[in-house]
Amino acid sequence: METVFSARAVTKFYDMGEVRVHALRGVDLELFAGEMMVLLGPSGSGKSTLLNILGGLDRASAGTVQYRGFDITQAKDRELTQYRRKHVGFVFQFYNLIPSLTAIENVAAVTEIADHPMKPAEALELVGLTDRMHHFPSQLSGGQQQRVAIARAIAKRPSVLLCDEPTGALDSETGVVVLEAIDRVNRELGAATAVITHNADIARMANRVVHMSNGLVSHVEPNENRRSPRELHW
Amino acid sequence: MLAALDRKLLRDLWAVRGQVLAIAFVLGAGIATYVMAASTLDSLQRTQARLYREFRFPDLFAGLKRAPVSVLARISAIPGVTNVEARVAAPANLELAGYGQPISGQIISLPRGPGQFNLLHLHAGRLPESGRDREALVSDGFAKAHKLQPGVTLKVTINGRRRVLEIVGVASTPEFIYQLAPGSIVPDFKTYCVVWMNADTLEGAYNMTGAFNQVAATLERGARTEDAVMALDHILRPYGGLGSHGRKDQISHRYLSEEFKQLTIMSTMFPAIFLSVAAFLLNVVVGRLMATQRGQIATLKAFGYPTSAIVVHFLKFTLVIVVFGVALGIAGGAWMGGGLSRLYMDVYRFPYLDYSIRPSVIAVSLAVSIAAAATGTLFSVLRAARESPAVAMQPANPGRYRRSLFEASWFSQPTRMIVRNIERRPIKSLLSIGGVAMSTAILVLGGFWTDAVDFMVFAQLRRAQLDDITVTFIGPVSIRALYSLTSLPGVTYAEPTRSVPARFRFEQRTYRTALQGLEPEGRLRRLLNKQLEPVQLPAEGIVLTDHLATMLGIRPGQILTVELLEGSRAIRQVPVTGLVSEYIGVSAYMRRDTLNRFLREGDSATGAFLAVDPPQIPSLYQRLKAMPAVAGSAERAQVLRSFYETLAAQMLTFAFFNTILAAAIAVGVVYNTVRISLSERSRELASLRVLGYTRGEVSYILLGELMILVFVAIPVGLVFGRGLSWLMASSAQTELFRVPFIIEPSTYALSALVIAIATVVSALIVGRKVNHLDLVEVLKARE
Ligand SMILES: Nc1ncnc2c1ncn2[C@@H]1O[C@H](COP(=O)(O)OP(=O)(O)O)[C@@H](O)[C@H]1O
Ligand SMILES: [Mg+2]
Repeated sequence: METVFSARAVTKFYDMGEVRVHALRGVDLELFAGEMMVLLGPSGSGKSTLLNILGGLDRASAGTVQYRGFDITQAKDRELTQYRRKHVGFVFQFYNLIPSLTAIENVAAVTEIADHPMKPAEALELVGLTDRMHHFPSQLSGGQQQRVAIARAIAKRPSVLLCDEPTGALDSETGVVVLEAIDRVNRELGAATAVITHNADIARMANRVVHMSNGLVSHVEPNENRRSPRELHW
Repeated sequence: MLAALDRKLLRDLWAVRGQVLAIAFVLGAGIATYVMAASTLDSLQRTQARLYREFRFPDLFAGLKRAPVSVLARISAIPGVTNVEARVAAPANLELAGYGQPISGQIISLPRGPGQFNLLHLHAGRLPESGRDREALVSDGFAKAHKLQPGVTLKVTINGRRRVLEIVGVASTPEFIYQLAPGSIVPDFKTYCVVWMNADTLEGAYNMTGAFNQVAATLERGARTEDAVMALDHILRPYGGLGSHGRKDQISHRYLSEEFKQLTIMSTMFPAIFLSVAAFLLNVVVGRLMATQRGQIATLKAFGYPTSAIVVHFLKFTLVIVVFGVALGIAGGAWMGGGLSRLYMDVYRFPYLDYSIRPSVIAVSLAVSIAAAATGTLFSVLRAARESPAVAMQPANPGRYRRSLFEASWFSQPTRMIVRNIERRPIKSLLSIGGVAMSTAILVLGGFWTDAVDFMVFAQLRRAQLDDITVTFIGPVSIRALYSLTSLPGVTYAEPTRSVPARFRFEQRTYRTALQGLEPEGRLRRLLNKQLEPVQLPAEGIVLTDHLATMLGIRPGQILTVELLEGSRAIRQVPVTGLVSEYIGVSAYMRRDTLNRFLREGDSATGAFLAVDPPQIPSLYQRLKAMPAVAGSAERAQVLRSFYETLAAQMLTFAFFNTILAAAIAVGVVYNTVRISLSERSRELASLRVLGYTRGEVSYILLGELMILVFVAIPVGLVFGRGLSWLMASSAQTELFRVPFIIEPSTYALSALVIAIATVVSALIVGRKVNHLDLVEVLKARE
């Protein structure tokens, strides 16, 4: 199986005056093409930090991260921007939609700058929002906004989809709908997907579960029996 | 509890230090104009009052041909008159070794005792000793212009006879704070001088022993000047009285009052405009700054802080900015005011200047600024504080947007964002446009002043007065004198003029100025209307400077009473046949032959306008100087130079300072507008960066909005600036100057350019901040 990401001895620390906070203490990790990986761990264990580094939003203090052979830890800012633009889809806990653009325009904001995007309407159809295409974010519920965010993330046909607690601000029923969208995108588009959660139940939808604690990967647990989000309860 | 809040205050201030600085600059610029103008005017007026008191400036003045000293007893007996002093004054031509041009002057006798009025302030040297008939004092302006020290000699022609005088001292008096050579409009210290000599010597030289030709008096408190003037005129009439007058018509006093009037207008209009612009901007900017603190305000409330504590907290926040801005403004204003006052001191011969800033000026500065800032703060803070803490604790809902009216389907999403953002908050957008427009407007106002002065000079000295040299004779001379001038080498053409002091009356209004007799088809002195077209001189009738007509309330076609104050002293009813547009001084014009008849004299003149071959001007000067009939001559180029050195310099320095301040305001406003925009939208912009938008693409969204606002604001500001300039021009109308309402296209262009540059500079500064948007941070926080 093709390796999309390979992280080696990644550390990240923040200097806070006298104290140095170690967010990552030497993480080794692979993400394979088409797989669904869940990052599980308590709050503060370094999940977001790792994901941000993989997504080219943040830089590691030491170690290397290869994306299909391209070392993103050495990349210039400009190259990171191009990397995010071409290859990475992001979904965040707080949606981060552009309030002045409608659902379809939010998606178009990304397809306009991508190389081989799908049609914005197509992306919204994938997340089941065809009927809300022309609504502004303020006219959508939290779950709907998050599905727009997913449509926006996948419209460029990214090779990786990174989701940081995508259901964190949602109730469980809405959360299931959002996870179904992510699951479907992963299966149909084959984007390597990493989903952060601190909820162990959600982990059952993954091919692999990576447990993090205290800035380290504590263990990796393959999941032979990948469940559809419908079957999850929390 | 407050200690923690105060620490927060300092950190918040530090975090937005760029904006704090920009706001303080805007406010400081407004305050500085006010402080500069108010302190300058105030200092000048206070100094004038103090000088008048200390050096005893009299209340009543009269000139005459010749009267015996015995007449003084009758003058003292006029009811209301307290003290009387007489003296001899004579016009003179002076020569200074090493200075080629003719110098005209006035020689005045020193009192025999300690003196009662117009006491001398000695700048250097000493008074002439009694009995020393070679010793003299000169006026300080002249001494300074030529860098003269006591010990230097001066050649003087009095009554046709030459004498050599030794300068023993340099002096000034309140009588000559504003020094004008007769017939000139601006002081020229190089070519005009006042000389004081012992009375015996001057009386002897001028055939005035035991007699006087000038008298001054003080009046009792409450005595009516008009009554004393009538009584004095009556006494002096048999002695060739030239009409007595109060302080109002004393030349120095009158010009000073007129200049103060002008300065009062400038020093109220400019600061009023600036301060209201600054106050408005302060209000807007502080309001928006507070709005960005909305989240914090809600959180503080959630913690249990009462609204009052929160309001006080944010008031302190703005108070720090205000105090900082006011301090900047006062310091800057004092600095510029000091500079401006020194410039005035060069023209007004004050021996010293009481420069100070009244506490009330500081109080007004603070009050206006605090009021503007406090209302801006209160409005926004209270609105934010009204929100319930529960709402603030929930994730913020995305802002409500609508599709825009001005939107095309081919718009890219970023362009769509710009347009919708402007339209979503029309008030905010309008305020930003208003702020930038106002800065543009005050730039136009600053430029207008320069254009107006240039036009004034153009109209007066390049269209109306076309002579190269103006010659003034000692008194009326036969027209034959003109022929002798025409024959001088270099003179290509000469035109006579007859000037006589006159009093003009219409209904109950009177005005004293020179009545000038001109040649009907004159080539060197042309009377022009507003459009710079010639105005005809009628055979009978009189033409007035438009401002004189306004002051007298008379219109063409109406009958003016003209009282000549010399010669025949005739009083005539004359129809006003036309008005001339003149921007400097006020005058009245008749045909010279008509005026000659009016004066019951032959074909005579008191001066001449000469057209001269330019290279011959210096040698012509030498010739003119040697002619006993010539009291003085002025070169137009010289007049132009002294105009720009004195009056224009004052106005233009004032306008220049204002332009600098306007530019500072413009930069402050534009920078704040875009900076606040950035803090309001940093989350949105960072999200786009996360999605792979480049810095340039993200900057476009932020700066595109600014560009559109500025693009709309500039034309609005230009129109607004035109309005302000018109307002200024129509109120700055004095006897000394009328400011023409002229704005050159280059002024508009320059104003727009300054705003454009301010925009680009602000965009660059803020663009750098866009580059440093923290992408990770923005994903963590909710809003
Ligand atoms: N900007 C930052 N400055 C200082 N410490 C940080 C910063 N971001 C994260 N950390 C610290 O790094 C650690 C890991 O954070 P994070 O990756 O957000 O954890 P998780 O997403 O697993 O909850 C935490 O201890 C957190 O306090
Ligand atoms: Mg996290």
